Amino acid sequence: MSDKKNYDPYESLNKFSLVWEKQINDFIFLITNNKDFVKMSDRGTDLHSRYLETFKKNQEALASVLNLPTKNDVTNVANLTLQAEEKMETLEEQIWDLQDSVKSQNKEIESVVEVSKEIIKLTKQLKTELVKTKKELADTKGLHAELQELKFELLKLNDFKQEFETIKELIKEEKSSEPVLTGTASGN
Amino acid sequence: MAADSPLKGLIPDLDYDKEMQRWANMFKVLSEPEPQIGHTPRNEIWRKNKSVLWHYPAKQKKYEIPLFFVYSLFNKPYILDIAPKTSVIEGLTNMGYEVYLLDWGSPGYEDKKMGIDTYIEKYLRTAVKRAIRHSGAEEITLIGYCLGGTIASIYASIAEEPIKNLIVATVPIDFQPFMGPDKWAEGLREGDIDFERFIDTYGIIPPKLVEGMFRAIGAPIYFTNYTNLLHRAHDSKYVDKWRRMNKWTLDQVPFAGEAYRQLASDLFKENKLIKGEIMVGNKQVDLRNIKANLFVVSGSRDNLILEEQSKPLMDLASSKDKSYITVEAGHVSLALTGLFAKIVHQWASSRSNPL
Repeated sequence: MSDKKNYDPYESLNKFSLVWEKQINDFIFLITNNKDFVKMSDRGTDLHSRYLETFKKNQEALASVLNLPTKNDVTNVANLTLQAEEKMETLEEQIWDLQDSVKSQNKEIESVVEVSKEIIKLTKQLKTELVKTKKELADTKGLHAELQELKFELLKLNDFKQEFETIKELIKEEKSSEPVLTGTASGN
Repeated sequence: MAADSPLKGLIPDLDYDKEMQRWANMFKVLSEPEPQIGHTPRNEIWRKNKSVLWHYPAKQKKYEIPLFFVYSLFNKPYILDIAPKTSVIEGLTNMGYEVYLLDWGSPGYEDKKMGIDTYIEKYLRTAVKRAIRHSGAEEITLIGYCLGGTIASIYASIAEEPIKNLIVATVPIDFQPFMGPDKWAEGLREGDIDFERFIDTYGIIPPKLVEGMFRAIGAPIYFTNYTNLLHRAHDSKYVDKWRRMNKWTLDQVPFAGEAYRQLASDLFKENKLIKGEIMVGNKQVDLRNIKANLFVVSGSRDNLILEEQSKPLMDLASSKDKSYITVEAGHVSLALTGLFAKIVHQWASSRSNPL
């Protein structure tokens, strides 16, 4: 016991009790850690179980006469509750499965609706373009007819030009032959 | 020149402040109500029978893939949210993860026929589906602690749900190595002791017997927690931590009989898990079907689950991305000190689709 640190009376008690406890436990294990003790405990447990079984049986018999509920009756009632709980759980899981499948179907429907919306848009676009194209076609046909007329007129004009050229040639030829006749008459 | 008292060296100097604080704290422990557990804000999303699925929203969501805690069937899961600042769940929500926790609840006598396969098929699977739906994520991370890790691994090998990551801490996969008395393990495996009749009679194992089972394996006589408290009662922080740990240790839940039978017979006695002989529903559980990214955490000072029990998962899982680390921690101190949150974040941050 030094003066430097104060005395703790329980430290030594703690150390001793650790050693004592280990010694006692080792001693107990020494006595019990053998086959004979194990077999004896087996007999003892068996005897205890048999006694308890008989006691329980008699208690059940007595309880039925005295009209008292026993553990088994309470167990039976509890089992009914557990069964009901399990059924509710199965139902809940089925509802969840249905909810999940409805959700996934909704998603599919949504995507189909979107796709069909796009198709309608495209169809409308195509329709307007078709109307436009028809109009352009009609215009083109008209232009084509006019062109044909023009061509015909041009052809006519061409023919006329040719005839005119021929007439011009003929007139020229006639003009060139006339002065010969005039020259001969003055010489007499 | 005052004469020295002859008794000077005989009576030791006591630190009176310390002693007063010590006894004040001891009195508080005995008289005050228990500390408030579970302070991280949460909301209940789903409830089935006694099990509840809790959602702990992230403070500021930074990761897309949520974390789903699968806790053990022993004890209550509030160890993961034990105290402010050292809570695993609080740490993770502060780091930006959405956290879900499946609290199995306390089975009653009507649950005596519930086996581990029922827990997985009807409770865990539905809870994971609900969590995925609630979070709006495409995938999920499973985190299993101790027996919860075993359950998470079994589920991951047969799951159809998208499990991206599987994190397991102090998980017993191989039940051959055993921390307790070896003759007892031998006796159970060779049929010298059999609990079938016991389980049939009791239906569900009462909490005190579950506590007794843990004490029998570890420390039948256990009073050093009290002497530890007495020794350090002057430290108020330690006293608070001690009270929370003590409350959790003593707060055992009943264990469904059929689950206990499967644990003792299929898992422990015949070690069916690593042999791939366990059936859940009509599916055979083969740990080689685990394709999720795997992270196995082991505690070096774990006095309940040995490292050799967790290592086989690394060899069996077919995941391309698997890591194994050993941490300087005990079985419970991973969660108690909040160290687990940092370990999870270190590994899961790059695998949880940061936003």
